[in-house]
Amino acid sequence: MPGEVDTADYADVWVFIEQHDGEAAKVSWELLAKGRELADEKGERLVALVMGESVTHLAEEAIERGADEVLVAEDPIFEPYLPGPYGEQFRYLVEERHPDVVLIGGSHTGRDFAGRVAVPTYAGLTADCTELDIEPDTGLLLAKRPTFGGDAMATIKCVEHRPQMATVRPGVFDAAEPDPDREGTITEVEVVVDESHQHSRMIERVVGDITDITDANVVVAGGYGTEGDFGPIEDLAAALGGEVAATREAVEEGWIEAARQVGQTGKTVKPDLYIACGISGAIQHLEGMNDSKTIVAINDDPNAPIFDDADYGIVGDLFEVCPALTELIEQKRGETA
Amino acid sequence: MSQEWNIVVCVKQVPDADDVSIDPDTGTLNRSDAEAVLNQPDYNAVESALQLREAVGGTVTAVTMGPPFATAVLQEAVALGADDGVLLTDRAFGGSDTWPTSLALASIAEELDADVVICGEESTDSSTGQVPPGIAAHNDWSQLTYVEELEPNPEENELIAVRDIEGGHEKVAASLPVVVAVGFGLNEPRIAGLHRKIYAETEFEPQEYSASDLGIEESVGLAASPTSVGGMATADPVERKRKLVEDVETLFEELESAGAI
Repeated sequence: MPGEVDTADYADVWVFIEQHDGEAAKVSWELLAKGRELADEKGERLVALVMGESVTHLAEEAIERGADEVLVAEDPIFEPYLPGPYGEQFRYLVEERHPDVVLIGGSHTGRDFAGRVAVPTYAGLTADCTELDIEPDTGLLLAKRPTFGGDAMATIKCVEHRPQMATVRPGVFDAAEPDPDREGTITEVEVVVDESHQHSRMIERVVGDITDITDANVVVAGGYGTEGDFGPIEDLAAALGGEVAATREAVEEGWIEAARQVGQTGKTVKPDLYIACGISGAIQHLEGMNDSKTIVAINDDPNAPIFDDADYGIVGDLFEVCPALTELIEQKRGETA
Repeated sequence: MSQEWNIVVCVKQVPDADDVSIDPDTGTLNRSDAEAVLNQPDYNAVESALQLREAVGGTVTAVTMGPPFATAVLQEAVALGADDGVLLTDRAFGGSDTWPTSLALASIAEELDADVVICGEESTDSSTGQVPPGIAAHNDWSQLTYVEELEPNPEENELIAVRDIEGGHEKVAASLPVVVAVGFGLNEPRIAGLHRKIYAETEFEPQEYSASDLGIEESVGLAASPTSVGGMATADPVERKRKLVEDVETLFEELESAGAI
């Protein structure tokens, strides 16, 4: 088991570029933009890490988006993602090259993978951060994450161990535009994994059959007040070109699939417009929707706490309000079309 | 060749999320009145473990780490149908972050000769989701996280899972021993039977292990935790307009003039 380390031997900010079928997850570019800021603040380099097969285009894009160097581990064993090979390769690179900070997307893949790196390297890992800063005096990473219910922010530090790792959910930071004139180095690294690290095998991977609500600009969500009838919610979402979401209760009742659940045990959304229909506003739900730009609450209970967390509220029956609103939106669309 | 499986289910005692309130005077979270309960996602983990046992045969052992009163969540698991319960309890564990916590659970999984370790995908109090992959990494076992469907394939000595991923799903087969983190709500947890409940509350005694029983006393607790809390601050509340409107037309106009639609 690795013991304490000489923290002075560790430098640079690393960002893991999550890719599937040659396409990078958006969160990786968001982290690269944030990583650039952190590296500049520390006066260190920003290093991107890409694993896969035929991923040179991603390495080039990583440089255009801010990396000074890209480490590329190219081998068929990295397609598709499996925690064993990815974890072992990353462990090797961390032990060889001593990064000070490692950022990984808080996607299901990233969160699956992060523990596979943090454990064998004895790194400090802070999950699901929403803010990252550098402590001025010490240069330590200050990884901030909402605690229980999102009411307080905890700042997590890793003083004696390296690297300082953090996962960050998609949508927290903004990606930088690629700059084709930026220059950087692409380094092919030694691949140290083989089939013995696999532990598991992918039978099939299907993307596109379920909507990713974390990416939607408009979200119309239903709760217990729908009594299982999501019709008006679906119509309103369709009129707005948005996605349908739900509370934990609605998912538990079996009214809607779990992939659409917003909240602490569900997904975090950050749309321009969030319409909460028949949702009382439990703090676990608020945590998943609080980053929405504009929030509308529709509830027939005037005392529902959701009204305190909304920009616009209307006390009324969602089965009347939603269709009426849908009609007005469709009318407007008809006029402008 | 199929054989019976040693199934370990990791459970955690947490403050009841429904009881946690915001103190209107200080604006801080009030957890002191919250009852300690079994972490909600762990009900799905226990149910998955019981279903696996029904499919393959074997035993289900519930494990928790915590003070002696955490026995309550083991009783809950036993009432639901777990065969046995193990309490990892020791002052040495105090202050453990995810690294030593997953080490302790990995060690007991090894000690119990587990074929499958099942956890809820995260705890409702700290919600890092990092313990299940941590257990797998400590033991260099396979892992299946964000599991939406789970099926044993005893002939091949593996578990087949459908995992939730962004915008879709993947189907993965993992060799035993394996650590599974089941998605919240993946199944309908059963209700404890009265007979089992009485047994859990009156006769059941958990096996207890200390850090030194597992030979990890130097590697757990606050001192062995790579991370530490460097401060707490009240989250900046998002300022909302809180504008109540009388009718749908006004709502529409407001949203239109705000550029929201």
